Amino acid sequence: MNGWLAHHLASFADALRRMLRTPFSAGFTALAIGVAITLPVGMYLAVSNLGQLAGGLPTQPEISLFLAGKASPAEREAIQRKLEAHPDIEQRRFVSSEAALERLNAQGLSDITAGLERNPLPDAWVLTLKQSAPQALDTLRKELSALPGVESVHADSIWAERLQAILGIGRMLVLLLSGLFGLALIAIASNAIRAQILVRREEIEVSRLIGATDRYIRRPFLYYGALQGASGALAALGILALLGLALQGPVSQLATLYGSPFRLTPLSLPAGAAVLGAATLFSWLGAWIAVTRALRKFG
Amino acid sequence: MIQFSQVSKRYPGGHTALENITLGIEKGELVFLTGHSGAGKSTLLKLIAAIERPTSGAVTVNGQNVGRLSRHAVPFLRRNIGLIFQDHKLLFDRSVIENTLLPLSIAGFDRREAFKRARAALDKVGLLNREKSMPIALSGGEQQRLCIARAVVSRPALVLADEPTGNLDTGYAIDILNMFRDFHRVGTTLVISTHDERAIQAMGGRVVQLDHGTLAAEA
Ligand SMILES: Nc1ncnc2c1ncn2[C@@H]1O[C@H](COP(=O)(O)OP(=O)(O)OP(=O)(O)O)[C@@H](O)[C@H]1O
Ligand SMILES: [Mg+2]
Repeated sequence: MNGWLAHHLASFADALRRMLRTPFSAGFTALAIGVAITLPVGMYLAVSNLGQLAGGLPTQPEISLFLAGKASPAEREAIQRKLEAHPDIEQRRFVSSEAALERLNAQGLSDITAGLERNPLPDAWVLTLKQSAPQALDTLRKELSALPGVESVHADSIWAERLQAILGIGRMLVLLLSGLFGLALIAIASNAIRAQILVRREEIEVSRLIGATDRYIRRPFLYYGALQGASGALAALGILALLGLALQGPVSQLATLYGSPFRLTPLSLPAGAAVLGAATLFSWLGAWIAVTRALRKFG
Repeated sequence: MIQFSQVSKRYPGGHTALENITLGIEKGELVFLTGHSGAGKSTLLKLIAAIERPTSGAVTVNGQNVGRLSRHAVPFLRRNIGLIFQDHKLLFDRSVIENTLLPLSIAGFDRREAFKRARAALDKVGLLNREKSMPIALSGGEQQRLCIARAVVSRPALVLADEPTGNLDTGYAIDILNMFRDFHRVGTTLVISTHDERAIQAMGGRVVQLDHGTLAAEA
């Protein structure tokens, strides 16, 4: 076997053996890394689940279009044709001024309406849209406002906008937390490797004396770091699965109370793989930093 | 092969270990380095292997100024030198064969070829039957022989031995000296530091004597 490849294999096996030989310290490091990963990934899951919940709620944005009292029949007809043909509009419902008044009466406001000389309410269209993006809502509102015979258009988009804003903050937080905990992970890994280096100091020195390059000396530590990161990621995925299991019951109970079929969505496979990959990489980086610093210090 | 030109070595703290040494060693030569304890024998050997760097003057090995080697070039210099240390520097958490394999692994040797060579080296020093033992289970003389096996396993053209027979009884010492004689016969350049007068008499090589860091006499 090629010597270089053999050393890679030997380094990997050596790292694994060392890890298994000290299961407690390796386990605690994995746990520390796991917790550092759980926070941003858990937050990510919370945000993505909320996003899903928001998307699934029957609160599609509505637009109310009020016709001008002096709108001509031709204008009214043009508006109706426009609304029926518009590609962004899912449903449309005409609410005449009489029907609107009746609704008010039915809601127990007849005392007030009875005192009115004439019906002050305009004729209106209530529209639901195919898209719920705030921008789409806004463009449509502007477009409809410009039609002749339209008094005003109210877009009921505030709720959607707020939710999007909150989710936006959540996503930003996930990013910031990921960066922060990525750094923490590098620090944890680097510290654990430093302990390894101290234990194996003699081996490093002897290897150098008989012609080992820095790259050769680094190799087993880098494998140790990578393994440590991977085991930390597995710990995090385990913690998240347990959290999910614990929350599943209460969440579906709550959802049922609101008549929603919502259920928690676990981490997707690609996202889990990404967590594993990132943790491995960061811990590897921590190991690299620790060994390189030690090699500089040894001279 | 080795050239010292007006080399001085002052350790941090101000102690001068070597002072104005000029010395040449030819390819294939056998050189004994003698002198009292603290005379600078180990320091001289360390300068050759770039373990220490001269404070002034130049040490060249095969035309390379080893005091000026970059950090990345040093490992490649050392791979061509077999080093036997005064304090052994064996790895006590690895078996005899693993210790012997280390230089070959470092040099990137094919694994099967490496095993073959390591066994041959252990055979040469009479430790083949102990290949699976841990160094802690070896006697002082056996540990010293393991050091020699590790130093010669990659067949270096130059071997530097620092007190290879120190604190060994005469029987062991003669064994070890005979091994060095074999290396010398096949053309290896050897620089051996020793207090051991018997060794020098028995082998009859060139003797370089150090006294308080200066070249005292050559015979
Ligand atoms: N790393 C060091 N730092 C400071 N002084 C040192 C160092 N190494 C050696 N010395 C000093 O340099 C002098 C020469 O040391 P060296 O080890 O070369 O002597 P030596 O001839 O090998 O002695 P011995 O026969 O006892 O091994 C000694 O006085 C020693 O104290
Ligand atoms: Mg010495």
